[in-house]
Amino acid sequence: MWNRPWGYKEGFAINGGLLLVGILLQLAIGRVNLEVLTYPVNLISLVIFGAGLAAMHLASKKLYLFRLLSSFQFALPSMVSVVILVIFMGLSPQFQSHAELPGMMGRLGIMQMLSAWYFVLVFSWFIVILGMVVVKRISRFHIKSDIPFVLNHLGLLIALLCGALGSADIQRLKLTASVGKPEWRAFDSRGNMLELSLAIELHHFTIDKYPPKLMLVDNETGRILPEGKPANILADDDFTEGTLLDWRITVEKRIEGAARVFAGDTIKYVEYPSIGATCALYVKAINTKTHRQQEGWVSCGSFMFSHQALRLDERLSLIMPDREPRRYASDVTVYTQSEKIIHGVIEVNKPLQVEGWKIYQLSYDQSMGKWSTISIFELVRDPWLPAVYAGIWMMLAGAVCMLVFPKKRKEDEV
Amino acid sequence: MSWDYFVYFAIVSLIFWIIGAVAAWKNTQAWKVYVPTIVGLLVFFAFILSMWISLERPPMRTMGETRLWYSFFLPVAGLITYSRRKYKWILTFSVIMAFVFICVNIFKPEIHNKTLMPALQSPWFVPHVIVYMFAYAMLGAAAVTAIYLLFLKKKAVQAKEMELCDQLVYTGFAFLTLGMLFGALWAKEAWGHYWSWDPKETWAAATWLAYLIYIHFRLHKPMKYHVALVIMLLSFLALQMCWYGINWLPTAANSIHTYF
Repeated sequence: MWNRPWGYKEGFAINGGLLLVGILLQLAIGRVNLEVLTYPVNLISLVIFGAGLAAMHLASKKLYLFRLLSSFQFALPSMVSVVILVIFMGLSPQFQSHAELPGMMGRLGIMQMLSAWYFVLVFSWFIVILGMVVVKRISRFHIKSDIPFVLNHLGLLIALLCGALGSADIQRLKLTASVGKPEWRAFDSRGNMLELSLAIELHHFTIDKYPPKLMLVDNETGRILPEGKPANILADDDFTEGTLLDWRITVEKRIEGAARVFAGDTIKYVEYPSIGATCALYVKAINTKTHRQQEGWVSCGSFMFSHQALRLDERLSLIMPDREPRRYASDVTVYTQSEKIIHGVIEVNKPLQVEGWKIYQLSYDQSMGKWSTISIFELVRDPWLPAVYAGIWMMLAGAVCMLVFPKKRKEDEV
Repeated sequence: MSWDYFVYFAIVSLIFWIIGAVAAWKNTQAWKVYVPTIVGLLVFFAFILSMWISLERPPMRTMGETRLWYSFFLPVAGLITYSRRKYKWILTFSVIMAFVFICVNIFKPEIHNKTLMPALQSPWFVPHVIVYMFAYAMLGAAAVTAIYLLFLKKKAVQAKEMELCDQLVYTGFAFLTLGMLFGALWAKEAWGHYWSWDPKETWAAATWLAYLIYIHFRLHKPMKYHVALVIMLLSFLALQMCWYGINWLPTAANSIHTYF
């Protein structure tokens, strides 16, 4: 070993060394504090990294080690080491880097892989190798043959490097807005309060729901039937008749906004266009084998009214489970310190972008459901995002190049 | 249209695909291979399309629905390979694999309904899943080829057979990259960050890196066929973890990607 030319053995030995040093560091001083990478430390690190790559490239004619940094002999063991750590990460549950985990496993940091010393070292080594590969190729760039190569490799380098360096600058805050009251105070994941340079006023929160479903449950166990592969029928507007097990179900009447009232000793549902209204269906069920017939109201209930099931026989009842949400939406106005006033609707998958913040629909008052008078938003700011996106788009272009241009077999490079 | 009709569409498609695969073994005129296979694909796609219309959402939410796309893309991948390389066995293999996934869908049906949770209602949903399923199909075809070359073929592996593996992996890997990055762009819009190390994402990264190792190893040591094929099969194992294996992992209990 260590006789030139170096091969995979030496490459693996270096990664093994990094792993060992990383484990010792981890046990001695605990995990890496990635929060030191906040601006301007991350920017300075980036500049030093770039300068270091250039210097190593210039010195690579004289130093064998630097020359090997852009070789397959080093790249492949590095990829294998990273993939092994990623697999460990995939097999063990992961916790936030500031969580305190007890025991030997907690100390070893497998469950906080991203801030474990050995991961940081092995990953950094991977980035250095990737960086040297890119620098080497760019230094003798051929416009025709090298564009896909540079798109793939430089794209990955930019995305990984900027993603890692920028992660400490990401702010993720929770803000709870109530109807009619502008709110500018938000909380980070540790519960610290921050005052923002913008305020959000909630006008209205709503949940659109899918049509109600009907299911059969076992009266004794409460399990949905047939057990193992529960069946349901979706009673949308044009639904009139369907079958569950042996029962033919017909919907006779439908009230979208209903109230549950007692009429003598029976329960019935009436129109109730107000807060807390529930959905109710009047159904007729006929057993196709025994010809037994039942009819009555079925409802999923709300925070005001309880569920209503229809008992079909000794064994079965027909129920309407809670309706699944189709859309959550908050109608808001955002006021900024620069005196801009922005009206918008924030939905899942449709965040609102205001002055570097992206505002996401996160939650609401679940006990009130669609009548919630609060809406909880997540505000995210990631100053390095444009750089990461540049890398991602380069990789996307590189992937398209892989499909369009046929592969050419290249000779070994070192 | 509902799953009750799936078995009929599947049988008709399979009959056409088998006719095409048999024709490929017989070295007859090319159209006897292409026409039945394409007709089979059209029949199968007609089912997917009518499911899409009747569900009023893309049929991509449940495991059963992704298996539907996989069964469709396998013969597509097989046919593309056949058109380039004329391997008479490739269509048979891809049809057998499609058959397996069709059987799973027939004998283990799941709940299929119209609801689609808000997080999945995005223009990224369809490209993300289709591109991934196509990648899986390509890499599946590559893995089948690798098994054939490693364990079944008596004679030595030939350079052109390795070239076929490379082409399948390159195509599959390009689609894998697209699928992963579409997912990242979507995640930013849906969850606030492009990469959260959700178990599915972690395994997607492992799979992607593993195939990257195959590609670079092939470039570095082009004559070491067996090692390369073993790397490819290990990568395919990582892919299985990523696709459905994580559903059994305790780590994935809170995953945003677990299907139901």
